Amino acid sequence: MYFELLENIAQNNGMRDISPYTKLLLGLGCILIVITSPGYIVPLFIAITLSVCILGIGKIPVRLYLTLLSIPLGFAIASVIVIVLVTGGGMTVFSLQVTNWLSLSVTVESLNEGFFVFCRIFGGMCALFFISLTTPMTDLFSVMKRCYIPMVLIDLAMLIYRFIFIFMEKAELIYRAQVMRLGYSTYREAIHTSGDLAGALFLASWNAGEDLIKAMDCRCYSGQFALLSKETPLQIRSVLLICIFLGFCCTLEVITADYTIIPVSI
Amino acid sequence: MTSIILEAREITYSYPYGPPVICGISFHIRKGEKIALVGPNGAGKSTLLLMCNGMIKPDSGMILYDNKPIQYNRSFLRELRTKIGFVFQNPDNQIIAPTVYQDVAFGPVNLGLPQNEVITAVSDALRAVGLDGFERRPPHQLSGGEKKRVAMAGILAMNPEVLVFDEPTSMLDPQGSEDMMELLEEMHNKGKTIIISTHDVELAYPWADRVILMEEGNILDEDIPELAFADKNLIRKAHLSVPILLELYMELVKRGMKEVKHPPRSVLDMIRMIESDRHGQMQMHCEACGVIHIADCDAVPAGKFLSYLSIHTISAIGAMGNRAKTRLKEESLYPDFTYAVIDRCILQAMNGKNSLLLTSGGMLTSAHERIISFNNENNRHIRIISVPTENGAG
Repeated sequence: MYFELLENIAQNNGMRDISPYTKLLLGLGCILIVITSPGYIVPLFIAITLSVCILGIGKIPVRLYLTLLSIPLGFAIASVIVIVLVTGGGMTVFSLQVTNWLSLSVTVESLNEGFFVFCRIFGGMCALFFISLTTPMTDLFSVMKRCYIPMVLIDLAMLIYRFIFIFMEKAELIYRAQVMRLGYSTYREAIHTSGDLAGALFLASWNAGEDLIKAMDCRCYSGQFALLSKETPLQIRSVLLICIFLGFCCTLEVITADYTIIPVSI
Repeated sequence: MTSIILEAREITYSYPYGPPVICGISFHIRKGEKIALVGPNGAGKSTLLLMCNGMIKPDSGMILYDNKPIQYNRSFLRELRTKIGFVFQNPDNQIIAPTVYQDVAFGPVNLGLPQNEVITAVSDALRAVGLDGFERRPPHQLSGGEKKRVAMAGILAMNPEVLVFDEPTSMLDPQGSEDMMELLEEMHNKGKTIIISTHDVELAYPWADRVILMEEGNILDEDIPELAFADKNLIRKAHLSVPILLELYMELVKRGMKEVKHPPRSVLDMIRMIESDRHGQMQMHCEACGVIHIADCDAVPAGKFLSYLSIHTISAIGAMGNRAKTRLKEESLYPDFTYAVIDRCILQAMNGKNSLLLTSGGMLTSAHERIISFNNENNRHIRIISVPTENGAG
């Protein structure tokens, strides 16, 4: 369901009419900077600015954005806790002797490290969401062509994209029909019914494939796929702005490389 | 009579290891005809239609297009499929590409048209089905009716001579079905030959020039709708029902109404019949007859309709064709009729009410002709007023 939801948002968001290249430049640029950044300030800064962009310009509902973010950030927090507990160095802030062979301790350095990792994930996720919430797949196909990705792969990607939705619709219909007739009532029954679902879906996909070939034949397929003719023009101004922003981030990265959330040397 | 465009001679077909689906059928279709293939589920309608553009090869017998037998090799079939466009029953089976534009462009691109011709073909086709502005939408976000239109546009973009529709109104709501039939009428006005399969007798009855009744792989009857649907035995055999209008007419005849050569095909025909039967040639005073205002929706400048409507007393607006509908929407007006528009405007006029008929292109003349011939046949004087365009005095 999430894929469909994300696509629908991407098709209707406030930045729909900005060239996909511009959006990709910002998104991918930010991801690169976040990955290379040695300090926590730049990733945090990028996370916040991109979130503001997504919510403000993209007009994505705040609740929905937070729900989406909570999924990866939940994982991030779980792993950060482990990192904080297992890494060491610096002054010990808190220590707990669980058994005589295992002691968990939180040190200044582990706290810094944990927070840094969290910011990195946060920034990276924001950049990824920025791309996926504002750039629909259909625009990316044209970008792929420009990047000299072989046409065969793009054609396949387009067909897959189209059929994912048909597949999901079919799956939902079959699933509903099964639930309505008490398909998943017991554990044993659930295993059995999900097997049926898989089988029915396999047959449905097979048929869909045959129908597709028929449809393509009917419409004189000779190995060519159209791409969107109207590409939104690249706006020099926004590209320049993005370059300035990325440059600023890089500079900030150098300046704030040594900053930590808790001062190490006392 | 026009020349024969499609002909079948004694064709038979059975699916592998299955019973025969088509058992020795012969028929012919002339250029510019509107044919409805009517029959119950499993009568072999879809199979027969798929044979028309060479998707299925008959086991025996032959099919001729333009008096040339179909050859089942790649180049011939390719050529044939550009001439005969096939619209599937389920648009999800036909829509291939991830956006509306790409899907409609699929045919033209594969025909090898240059980019700018592809763009015009696509925008023309989308305008014809009333979907301009949908270019970048992905198909899974569209409604059933819109998907059906996309599928149609994809075929129209290849500019075929014959259009074959398998169940064009299935899965559509009544309004959607009427819009679809209107669209077919529009295509027909542009000179296309149209073949549809359906089991909706109410839609086929007023629309078709000729009906082919099918049952279990055989043709039961092949005639004009008034006759094909009037034979109760055949209709029962084909699991269909007699169209209400025709049934009403037959019941009235049983009760002593004068029988006519052509049973009524529309409400207008019926009203006319009843009137002339009851009062002889009832003649209204000319003042009592309503006026039909006809407007060319491409020529009348924006904002003109509102002022026109405020000057004249007009009780109903009819929009004929998609251009007219979009145009009315732009003016934020709503049509009262979108289907069988001329008939309904005449009905209004017979009732002493004025109406405004909005249309474009070739349908303008056909509207004029239809009203004039109605006047002549029935000795009426329904006045037509053309809504002045930019050049004319307001």
